[in-house]
Amino acid sequence: MRRLPVYLLLDTSGSMTGEPIEAVKNGVQVMISSLRQNPQAIETAFISVITFDSDARQLVPLTDLASFQMVDIKATGTTSLGAALRLAATSIDNEVTKTTAEQKGDWKPLVFIMTDGIPTDDWQSGLEEFKKRKTAYTVACAAGSGADANLLKQITENVVSLDTADSQSIAKFFTWVSASIGVTSTKVEDSGKEVTGLGELPPPPSELNVVV
Amino acid sequence: MEDIIAVVDSLFRNRGIAITDDRKALFNSFLEAERNQALIDVIMQTGNLLMAGWKQEERIADLQQQLLRIPNATVGKDYTATLDFQKLGWQDMVQTAFSGLEAIGLAYDPATGQISGTPTQSGDIPLQFLYRLDTEKEDASLHAKSLTLTVNPDPKSLWKNLESDTQDPYWKEDHVTKFAPLGDRHIVVSSKRGRSHANVGSFREDDFAFDSLENGWQIVVVADGAGSAKLSRKGSALACASVVEYFKEEAAKTSMAGFDAVLQQYLAQQEAATEKELNNFVYNNLGKAAFTTHKKLEVFAKESGATLKDLSATLIFTLWKKYEAGYAFLSFGVGDCPIAVLNRDVTEVTLMNWLDVGEFGGGTRFITMPEIFQNKQFATRFGFKLIDDFSYLFLMSDGIYDPKFVVEAALPKISKWQEFLADLGGNNEAGTKVDLNPDNPEIAQQLSQWMDFWSPGNHDDRTLAIVF
Repeated sequence: MRRLPVYLLLDTSGSMTGEPIEAVKNGVQVMISSLRQNPQAIETAFISVITFDSDARQLVPLTDLASFQMVDIKATGTTSLGAALRLAATSIDNEVTKTTAEQKGDWKPLVFIMTDGIPTDDWQSGLEEFKKRKTAYTVACAAGSGADANLLKQITENVVSLDTADSQSIAKFFTWVSASIGVTSTKVEDSGKEVTGLGELPPPPSELNVVV
Repeated sequence: MEDIIAVVDSLFRNRGIAITDDRKALFNSFLEAERNQALIDVIMQTGNLLMAGWKQEERIADLQQQLLRIPNATVGKDYTATLDFQKLGWQDMVQTAFSGLEAIGLAYDPATGQISGTPTQSGDIPLQFLYRLDTEKEDASLHAKSLTLTVNPDPKSLWKNLESDTQDPYWKEDHVTKFAPLGDRHIVVSSKRGRSHANVGSFREDDFAFDSLENGWQIVVVADGAGSAKLSRKGSALACASVVEYFKEEAAKTSMAGFDAVLQQYLAQQEAATEKELNNFVYNNLGKAAFTTHKKLEVFAKESGATLKDLSATLIFTLWKKYEAGYAFLSFGVGDCPIAVLNRDVTEVTLMNWLDVGEFGGGTRFITMPEIFQNKQFATRFGFKLIDDFSYLFLMSDGIYDPKFVVEAALPKISKWQEFLADLGGNNEAGTKVDLNPDNPEIAQQLSQWMDFWSPGNHDDRTLAIVF
């Protein structure tokens, strides 16, 4: 079966302490629960969680929705976005099956990045690695005024921003991510076509500003 | 003695009584007095009790904090999860139980630490793990540790089956299955709306047609409307109908009659020239049918205010006729639907067409694309095969091909077709069986039922035509 891999790259740096980190945890949880109600998503979507602070780690390897269990995350340290991008690239290499004559590979992965700050590491070199991998689309979310939407624009053309990194805005972001994964899983299954950009995803709620 | 001195000394000190050096001897004899020894024992025992109590308190606090995770379950699916007391470091638990499991169809066996059963209800189920430690009295009430068990819904139950809008001008039946004689053979064909369409009440986009033509020719057509095209249900229906229509027209009838001579000439002298003539014949006749179909779709699009793209559909068709030398099969194909002929003994498969498949899917081609007719590959879209005798002819949409053959590389393998036949014969998860026998009065219903097979991630429309 062709899986739809989804990578969540979540900022767990010190500035996320308190309300934001709790909102992220909660957001992922709610997202998973709602996707489990979607017949296409529960069969095809596989989720991985990569967090980044002073370093990046893959907290949850690519896991089917039915078995997925959210891991506790804590906010601490700096913002190694570059390391997260590099880790996403190697995770894609290791986890996403390529199509060959003998087997049908997975769908191209979806990548969602959420950060509330400016990268503190050499993020360009991580980005360079990341860009070598094929994704269906990458969406970056600049949460609050500390994030630089223009910098994220260099990672992907699909950038949304939240005015504040409060629990309500973060929850809205994850609701939208959930809807986007749902739409994508329906689309790949129904028409055998990948979704390629923001235009094909559900319209973001008013809390999410599309950065053009 | 030393530790007793230390205990009492610190007790006294805490109360502001210091034992000075010159009173040490007196202090020692004071402690040795029988009456005081008994009092000291009480202090020591009480202290030990207090410490044990505190240790237990801390242990319970640790246990309450310790992360306890059990794997997620799924409604209707057998579930077992075992608590590994060694690994959890819970050797000090002497009595354990669960509350909340029975209500969802699960049970816990304290002897083995195993939770098992078949969940009946989905959701994030709150559970309590109950335990008593070996340091506690037997009648002590159990401690409760809260945890959540995630029970996934049965994916099958999530699919809705909404009827398509019968008032739609391009509506067609969600499911069609037909059985009929065809030439010296029979055909059973079923076309069913996929679950992904049923889930949202949209239409079946696949279609098919078959007929007996003049001069002993038979024809079967299958078309698969593109999921992304608005009116592809009409496109596929129109494409199928127009191919058959084309071959029923006088011009085509006359032209097709010429095949007998071309074939005879080829059989008499199998060389480049006669083969070329034969291939040209196929190219001209079937190519014209394909192009006429394209044009009809174009006209329809114009008249109905739609675009040609709205009607996007793949198209495969094959014509065959029985000759003394065997069965002559002619074919055309655009898109990702295979046509295959199995020989009499089912030891060889002949594929009539190649498939338009892209690296990441979605690379298919449609009869509505004008560029396919100009592309130099166009000539390779036709097939001619002379086969002594055949057991089965299959035409299928990707809704069957994807789950059953998965990749193009599987199609030339006869073993895959033998498996496919065994699958049709009942060798499948649901145990549904199609008895491919013309005398079987249930054949259509059997195929229709077989078509509903479950395959995760494969819920597209399905069309399967079997000539036998």
